[in-house]
Amino acid sequence: MLLSMPPLPGIMLAAAALAGPAAQGPATRNAPPVARAAPSGRPFPVSFTDVARQAGLRMTFTYGGEQSKKYIIEANGTGVAFLDYDNDGRQDLFVVNGSRLEGFPPGQEPTNHLYRNLGGGRFEDVTRQTGLIRSGWGGGVCVADFDNDGFDDLYVTYWGSNVLYRNNGKGGFEDVTARAGVAGPGKEWSSGCTFLDYDRDGHLDLFVTSYQRFDLARAPLPGKASNCEWKGMPVFCGPRGLPFGKVTLYHNRGDGTFEDVSEKSGIRAVRDFYAFTAVAADLTGDGWPDLYVACDSTPSLFFRNNRNGTFSEIATETGVAYSEHGFEQGGMGVAVGDFDNDGLLDLLKTNFAGDYPNLYRNQGGGIFEDVVLKAGLAVNPQYVGWGVAFVDLDNDGWKDIFQVNGHVYPELDRREGQEKYRNPRLVYRNLGNGRFEDVSAMAGAGVTEKKSSRGAAFGDFDNDGALDVLVMNMGEAPSLLRNELRSRNHWIKVKLQGTRSNRGAVGATVVVEAGGLKQTDVLLSQSSYLSHNDSRLHFGLGKAVRVEKFTVRWPGGTVEDFPGVPADCLVLLVEGSGRARTLSLAK
Amino acid sequence: MRLLEIALWLAAFQDPSALSDQAQRLALEKRFDEAAKLWRQALDRSPDFFPALFNLGFLDYSQGKYREAVPWLERASRVSPRDFNTRYVLGAALSRQEQHEGALRAWRAALELQPRNLRLMQIMIVEYEKGRYFQDAAALARRALELDPAQENLYFLAIKASQDAGDYDSALKVAEQAAKRFPGSARANFEYGFHLQKIGKVDQALVYLERAMQADPNYEEPFFFYGDLLVRESREQEAIPYLRQAIKNRQDYVPARVTLARALMNLHRWSEAIRELEETVRMDPRHPQPHLLLSQIYFRQGDEAKAKIEKEISLRLRRENPTVLEAVQGRPFPER
Repeated sequence: MLLSMPPLPGIMLAAAALAGPAAQGPATRNAPPVARAAPSGRPFPVSFTDVARQAGLRMTFTYGGEQSKKYIIEANGTGVAFLDYDNDGRQDLFVVNGSRLEGFPPGQEPTNHLYRNLGGGRFEDVTRQTGLIRSGWGGGVCVADFDNDGFDDLYVTYWGSNVLYRNNGKGGFEDVTARAGVAGPGKEWSSGCTFLDYDRDGHLDLFVTSYQRFDLARAPLPGKASNCEWKGMPVFCGPRGLPFGKVTLYHNRGDGTFEDVSEKSGIRAVRDFYAFTAVAADLTGDGWPDLYVACDSTPSLFFRNNRNGTFSEIATETGVAYSEHGFEQGGMGVAVGDFDNDGLLDLLKTNFAGDYPNLYRNQGGGIFEDVVLKAGLAVNPQYVGWGVAFVDLDNDGWKDIFQVNGHVYPELDRREGQEKYRNPRLVYRNLGNGRFEDVSAMAGAGVTEKKSSRGAAFGDFDNDGALDVLVMNMGEAPSLLRNELRSRNHWIKVKLQGTRSNRGAVGATVVVEAGGLKQTDVLLSQSSYLSHNDSRLHFGLGKAVRVEKFTVRWPGGTVEDFPGVPADCLVLLVEGSGRARTLSLAK
Repeated sequence: MRLLEIALWLAAFQDPSALSDQAQRLALEKRFDEAAKLWRQALDRSPDFFPALFNLGFLDYSQGKYREAVPWLERASRVSPRDFNTRYVLGAALSRQEQHEGALRAWRAALELQPRNLRLMQIMIVEYEKGRYFQDAAALARRALELDPAQENLYFLAIKASQDAGDYDSALKVAEQAAKRFPGSARANFEYGFHLQKIGKVDQALVYLERAMQADPNYEEPFFFYGDLLVRESREQEAIPYLRQAIKNRQDYVPARVTLARALMNLHRWSEAIRELEETVRMDPRHPQPHLLLSQIYFRQGDEAKAKIEKEISLRLRRENPTVLEAVQGRPFPER
């Protein structure tokens, strides 16, 4: 052989080759778990047990292939809801279902389910008799009394036309989508939705997010493009590389119909995102509801209410669009709450694996700082996070965090490595000093069991003063996690009724003063991941045996004080009444 | 030309070895086309004649004709499966065409023939990374390190591969070993400090980053990460001199400039932050980050119109230059 061997090319290429990860579908940044602080050593009196089966929740979620997924449409799962549709004082359950690519024989299609709470920890499937049977690729759910008749209504998003169900007050629902004009364009893959009264006219308007304009005929197959792989493994493509979604705002005319005001409100001017969960809350503190939308692999969105029927998108300016270093993240779920009891509503956003969640601490005036590292929440980046909430699980007066997880690639279960499709849930105890502690291992089998979960809703289904969790699990039955709280801490539940504001008081902010703490919470019609929580706001009171004072900022803009009441009960606050009426809790 | 024709005519009567020798002489004189003709003739006589197959492949490879090189080299490797060079060049030709799997298949075969070839291992680690086979890259890097623990560069390859494989414990462990074995090495100390700060061990990280700065005051990265860590700890005032030094060491170091601006913002030193960011924009007009921070500053100052303009520039640049955004924590393999 005469020709000399060439220089080894690999070394020359090293710097370029390793300059950064090649394109992938979802946004991630390969973040490692941050070292945990020394354990506080305090006992955690919360233990979750999955009681779904004994409660009678027998449905199984269908959402695409179980062993592998060909298209992104199979990956995102659905939301779930706590609601009291029959006003009997017990929280009922609504779960949104999906489908599969190959379809189903007629009559065997999976449907959404409504479970009526019978008391005593039992539920009855009332889907058929309430008129809620519907198949298709469901997504999110939001709950509110849009027609102010005293009964909660439902809006469900789909890949395809969305559906508005009006609660007829007689134990059933009626599909009023066509009359209301809120089906959407039909070709979008809608995801999030939230009712809000953006113009404070007392009628709830509707905001809907779309993940993308998904077209099965045009979607590339796994491994066929740079956005179709995960760490060298061919997987379904996207979201990057697929057509973006959009947001829609419907104005409630007050006569059962809505007008699409996306253009004139200014929200349609914002483009190029994959939108998921939508939350509506007064994040700027001016008394008008703003909107925050978790977006996947694109900057998240913060629509500030300009108080004149228009919105300005200010997520970048205010620090809630990206990670602290300016990177797009795979945003999924959002929690809203005042974790540090400073009177300002903070945000917690779950993200894709290899990244930390964002704990956006509200600094006032709508400016936020991501304090996830300082708060000790950067310890589990190995999971794809979805449903999440600030919830006071041990009733100590400080809101803890519950998060459900699940990877999007079932193929991971057949690969070596730490990443798996099914993951445990996470519970972080609020230490009351701006920091959280991972207490998942101490929080019972309902937390450590491994599922690929998506939506999660938070509420007290057994009215025992401890917050429970309803969870959507891909390809499995839902989990109903009962909080078996062993604590003598006190609590209060607040039910709101608007008179000049929308009757369900969606968007109201409540401040509870008790035991030296001022706790703030807001009534939302969607949060977590595409889900809806118990509309009765729950506050832990610690050792305090009574609430000193309630202050409500009603969605109509007025601020009203209510006198305190003894702890451990449900209290009804009616707008303009100035009275706090205690209600008995149904068992 | 006449002479060549005569040579070719004569060659027609020669055996393949003689033709190949003649071709090599021509190739040495850079008369590649003529050499290729002779090797092809050799193959006409004997289709499995290895030297002709290999050299035709190698000739194409050397001339940048990677696609053409592959069939020759594949045939050569079938004829002589234990020839290291054939496997190696075949892998290189495939790698040049971004055919990572094929390249790795060829190089794995080469490595079986020379299982202690550290240079090949290093190339393969890089190729595994390019193909996103992070677990394989990490395993091979560890194997290389076991073979020669005195080679500093192998530690860095192993660290990076482990990190990309999501095996942060191994990355940290190897970084610690490197820092212990090469205590005077700026890079080894930096790697350990870098990984300590990544997992939030701030106090320890600061010690090793400091050692790295002392070992090489011209090395920009330890200064940047030291400053960045202090900013994250809300110690902006202390961070500023380190960030300034990082920028002095590398004028176009955008993450350092952006972090310096962030520190100034946190201290409400708006005009200094704006100056820093504007300078960064001049230096790297394609980078979205300075515009993002400018947007935040203008918003805080109440100038929403300017804030919006900067935001839109940032968004546009992000879309136009998706790779320009340098991940601070996922930084590239150090080139030093």
